[in-house]
Amino acid sequence: MTSPEEALALARERAAAARALGGYANDLSNFAIDPLDAVTLEHLLEWAVVEPDLSELRSTRRLGAPITFAKRLLYRALRQYHGQVLAQQARFNIQLAVFVGQLADRVERLERRR
Amino acid sequence: MNVHQVLSGAGPYDAVTNEALDFRARFTAWGWGGRDVAAAIDPRMNGRVAPLSALAPGERDVVLIHYSAYAPRVRRVLELPQRKLLLSHNVTPARWLWAHEPMTAVQCAVGRSQLPDFVEACDACAADSAFNAQELRSAGAGEVTVLPVLTDPRRLGAPADEAPAGPVTLLFVGRLMPHKRQDEVIRVLALYAREHDPHARLVLVGEPLTARYAAELHQLADAIAPGAVRFERSLSAAELAERYRGAHAFVCLSEHEGFCVPVLEALHFGVPVVARPAGAVPEVAGNAALLVPDDDPAVVAELVHLAVTDAALRAELRRRGAERVAAYAPERTAAVLRDLVLSLQ
Repeated sequence: MTSPEEALALARERAAAARALGGYANDLSNFAIDPLDAVTLEHLLEWAVVEPDLSELRSTRRLGAPITFAKRLLYRALRQYHGQVLAQQARFNIQLAVFVGQLADRVERLERRR
Repeated sequence: MNVHQVLSGAGPYDAVTNEALDFRARFTAWGWGGRDVAAAIDPRMNGRVAPLSALAPGERDVVLIHYSAYAPRVRRVLELPQRKLLLSHNVTPARWLWAHEPMTAVQCAVGRSQLPDFVEACDACAADSAFNAQELRSAGAGEVTVLPVLTDPRRLGAPADEAPAGPVTLLFVGRLMPHKRQDEVIRVLALYAREHDPHARLVLVGEPLTARYAAELHQLADAIAPGAVRFERSLSAAELAERYRGAHAFVCLSEHEGFCVPVLEALHFGVPVVARPAGAVPEVAGNAALLVPDDDPAVVAELVHLAVTDAALRAELRRRGAERVAAYAPERTAAVLRDLVLSLQ
């Protein structure tokens, strides 16, 4: 019997032994979803274009299908107006993100010069 | 006596909401009145929680603030002259959410930054784990009472008498959120299937943070473990109990947990728990789980294999699990809650 206290050490040994024999060759680490410790310029540029998820435009009530239908109908009716709002917001976001990027480059160049 | 409960949000599958409803049942049994209100309410609550605007406490009433995230207008509650009890359920660090749900990330970031204000304005502080209590102390709280989550896994029914039949089934229960690391559980399943049992399956039970994040996890599962991962949500208590009874191991690789009720439920059902020792998980699971700090999924897969195949190890974990569940008996928690509220009178 393996005691709970011994199990981890045994699992490590077995994983190492399996690897030595070619097991666990690909640990699939490229599929991890990691947290964002710092938001980068790439993230800002990716997020600058506002793209609401239309699948979220729905009702969660038990008999919510008619409400979902009404919401989506309203969305279609106001599509022209929303298009303008999104375009203006995206323009501002992108310009700002680019400006921040240029500033970051400038600061970096200045720091290198010092 | 009246005790009013304030929540930032209320939903039918939200652990904090369910605990507040359990509190309310106890309050009613003790002959106490009061209302439960929330800043945001899921329509599926069907009126069980009132809007925040309905809060109108009397002079000698107690206001219990369940703190789990920032919500606009909840801060105004701090200005009330009534005695206030702050119960911290822990706020998820925003770093996990920026890329997936920026609005929730903002609420979490602001929620964590405003915690000291809530601590200062409340007359007593409590937290549902020692881990959460430590965070409250860091936010300036003096004495913090540990008030474990008022949950009774026995409500789900009795555990199965025998180990489940059929292919090896791994289980995790918890919202589909980045810090819960369902992505890592899927990777472990894929490796386990490759190295030990090609028929192994994984069941992930939980409401998704967003449809988009759920789609990412589905894509991951389709890519590395096609057909082996089942996503389920909105289960009834009976259905959830069946999932526990049908599981060979409960795998929790969450990186942040303020308590983790599903670990306690798995222990109740005698399912071996393999878990990352993060947040309050080691405190809740005690010596009844196989804790694995390693980031290497191969080690986790081997630990799962041990938990699934070593009958004596399973039996020992089952025995210890029953002790852990007994340590969190709801009667004990209810007594602490009652004393705490009465101390504010």
